[in-house]
Amino acid sequence: MSTAMIEARGVGKRFGANEVLRGVDLDVGRSEVVCLIGPSGSGKSTLLRCINFLEAYDDGEVRIEGELIGYEKASDGKRRPMGARRLREMRREIGMVFQHFNLWPHMTALGNVAEPLKRVRKLAAGEAEERAMDMLKRVGLAEKAEAYPSRLSGGQQQRVAIARALAMQPRLMLFDEPTSALDPELVGEVLEVMRALATEGMTMLIVTHEMGFAAHVADRIAFIDQGRILEQGPPRQVFHESSEPRVRQFLQTYHDRNAF
Amino acid sequence: MNLALVWHYAPSLISGFGVTVLCWAVGSIVGLALGIVIALASEIRLAPLRWLLRVYIEIFRGTPFLMQLFILYNGGPFIGLKLAATTAGVLGLGLYSSAYYAEIFRGGFASVPRGQIEAAMSIGMTPLSTLLRVRFPAALVAAVPPIVNTLIVMSKETVVLSIITVPELMYQVQTMAAETFTAFDAIFAMAVFYWLLVEVVSRLGRRLEKRVTLFLARPA
Amino acid sequence: MHPQVILHSLGYLTQAAGVTLALSLAGIVLGFLVGAAACIARLSGRRWAAALGAAYVSIFRGVPLLVQLLFIYYFLAELGFNVPALVAAVGGLALASGAYQAEILRGALNAVPRGQSEAASALGFAPVDVWRRILLPQALRISIPPLINEFILLLKASSLVSVVGIAELTRVSMNIATMTYRPLEAYVGGGLFYLAINLCLSGIGLLAERRFGKAGAI
Repeated sequence: MSTAMIEARGVGKRFGANEVLRGVDLDVGRSEVVCLIGPSGSGKSTLLRCINFLEAYDDGEVRIEGELIGYEKASDGKRRPMGARRLREMRREIGMVFQHFNLWPHMTALGNVAEPLKRVRKLAAGEAEERAMDMLKRVGLAEKAEAYPSRLSGGQQQRVAIARALAMQPRLMLFDEPTSALDPELVGEVLEVMRALATEGMTMLIVTHEMGFAAHVADRIAFIDQGRILEQGPPRQVFHESSEPRVRQFLQTYHDRNAF
Repeated sequence: MNLALVWHYAPSLISGFGVTVLCWAVGSIVGLALGIVIALASEIRLAPLRWLLRVYIEIFRGTPFLMQLFILYNGGPFIGLKLAATTAGVLGLGLYSSAYYAEIFRGGFASVPRGQIEAAMSIGMTPLSTLLRVRFPAALVAAVPPIVNTLIVMSKETVVLSIITVPELMYQVQTMAAETFTAFDAIFAMAVFYWLLVEVVSRLGRRLEKRVTLFLARPA
Repeated sequence: MHPQVILHSLGYLTQAAGVTLALSLAGIVLGFLVGAAACIARLSGRRWAAALGAAYVSIFRGVPLLVQLLFIYYFLAELGFNVPALVAAVGGLALASGAYQAEILRGALNAVPRGQSEAASALGFAPVDVWRRILLPQALRISIPPLINEFILLLKASSLVSVVGIAELTRVSMNIATMTYRPLEAYVGGGLFYLAINLCLSGIGLLAERRFGKAGAI
C-alpha cells in the first residue's frame, strides 16, 4: 500500500469574497515531516485546518490515507458534508496542536490528557490515566500531572497539549504555529519534543515560523503565498537555491529581522 | 381595548408620563453628580472618610429602593425632614443610584493605566487638568456601558415611586384602574411604553458606547 | 429614634426575613430553569426558538417588575384566572429573573474561548461530550459570581411583592410602621435585615469570585 498519508488536491477555501486557498496540491507521505512556511495571511493555517476539516474547504479534495475527509458522495453524484460520526472517527486518527494550546483550564494536566481517552477511546478511568501519565513522562512533565494549566508556563502547556494529542495514538500530527505564542526562551523545549517525535517516525505537517527548526527537521518545505504553494522541496533547495522571488524576499526579511 | 376610556384619562396619563421622565432625569443627574463626588472623595487617603463612603455605598446598594423611599418619605418627618412625595422620590432615586454610579466611576478611574497619568504629570499638567483631560475621558470608556445599564435600571425603578404616591405614570394607571375597574388596556400600554423606553435607551447607549470608544476601534 | 420598636418586633422581622429569603430562593431557582431554557432556545440555531428566547429576554428585562407583578396578579384575575398571591409573586420573580439569568448564562458560554471546543472536536469528541465536559463546567463556573449578584438584586426586588400582600420583610415593616406609628424605626429595622442578608451574600460572592472568577483564564 503506497497511498500518501495526506493527499490534498486543488483545495480551495473562501471566506466571503476573500479567497484564502486557491487550488492547493500537497502530499505528505508516511513518516514524512513537512513544514509549511509563508507570510502571515498566506493561508497556511487555513490549509492545516482544512486537513482535519475544522475548516470546511469549498473546492478540491483532502484525503487521509486515501479516504476523503469532510464530504461523501450523494446519490445524485454531487457531494454533501459527511456524517458527523464518521468525521469524528477520522479526526481521532489526526492529532492537532494549536497555537494557543487550547488546554481545558478546568482540568489538570493529567485530566487534559486522559479526558479524550475516556470520552473518545472509551478507556476505563484507570487505564486512561495510566496512559496519560506515560504520555506526560514522554514530554517530560510527569511531575506536573496534578497542576492546572494556569500554573504551567506556556512551553509546559504546549507540551501537555502535544501529550494530549499523542495519547490518542494518531497516525499523523498537525501543528499550527506551535511556538508562536511562546516566550523565546520557552520555544526550545517544545521544538525538542517535536524533534524527538520526528525521529520516531511520526508523520507531521507543521505550520511554523521557526526556520532553523524547519531546516533541520523537515524532509520537505512548502512555501505558501496568497493561497498557493509557490515552491516545495527539500530544505536546502527552498532555503538556499530558490529561484522564486517571493520566497527569496520572504527569507530575506526573515533573516534581516533575526540578524543582530 | 377601550379606547374611549384611555382617551378620557389621557391628560392624567400624559402628565404621569411627564412626571416619570422628569423624576428619572433629575434623579439620574443627582445620582451621577453624587457618584463622581463619592468616587473622587474615596481617593483621599483618609481612613475614616473612606470607611464612611464604603458604608454609604453598602447601605444604598444593600437595601431595596422601596425601603429607602419609605424611610425617607414616611420616616423623615420624625427627624424633621418633611418632603413632598415627588421631592422624596427624586432625592431617593438620586441617593440610591449614586451608590451604583460611585462604584462605576471608581472602577472607571481604576481602569486608567498608571502610565497615562504619569505621562500627563511628566509634561507638567496640573492635577486638575490631568483629571479633566486625561483621567476622566479615559475612565468614561470603561464607565459608559455600566452607566447606560444603570440608567435603564433606574428608569424602571421610577415605577416604585407610585407606591409613595408620586403622581407618575404607574400611579395614574392605578388610579384609573381603581376608578374604572378596567385598567388592562392602560397597564398593557404601560408595559409596552417601558419596553420601548428600555429598547430605545439601550440602543442609544450602544451608539454612545461606540462613540466614546471610537479611538479603540481598529482600522478594518 | 426609639430602637426598642425594632427590638420588640425582632421576632416578626426575623420571620419575615425568612419569607423574603425563601421567596427569592424560589425565584432564583425557578428563574434559573427558565433562564437556561431561554438561553438554550437562543443558541439552538432554530430561528423561531431563538426569536422566542430573544423576545422573552427583551420583554421581561424591559418591563418593570412591579408592572409584571400587577399584570400577573390583577389582570389574570380579570381574565378569570385566579392566581394565588404566592404563585403570582414567585412566578413574577422567576420570570423576571429568568430573563437576566438567560443573559448571564449566554455571556458565560460565550466567554469560553472557541479554541476549547475546537480542541475537543479535533480530538473526535461528540457534541454532547463537548457540552458536558468542556463548555458547561466552565460556563457554570464563570456564571457563579454574576448569579450571586443576580440573587442580591432579586432579593431587593422581592420587596415589591409586598404590593400583592405577601407578608415578607417589606410588607411586615409596613405593618409594624402602621401599628406602632413609628415608620422610621420599622423601616430602618427592615432595612437592616436586608442589609445583613445582602452583605452575607456579597461576601459569598467575593469568595466565589476569587475561587471561580479566574477559572476561565488560561
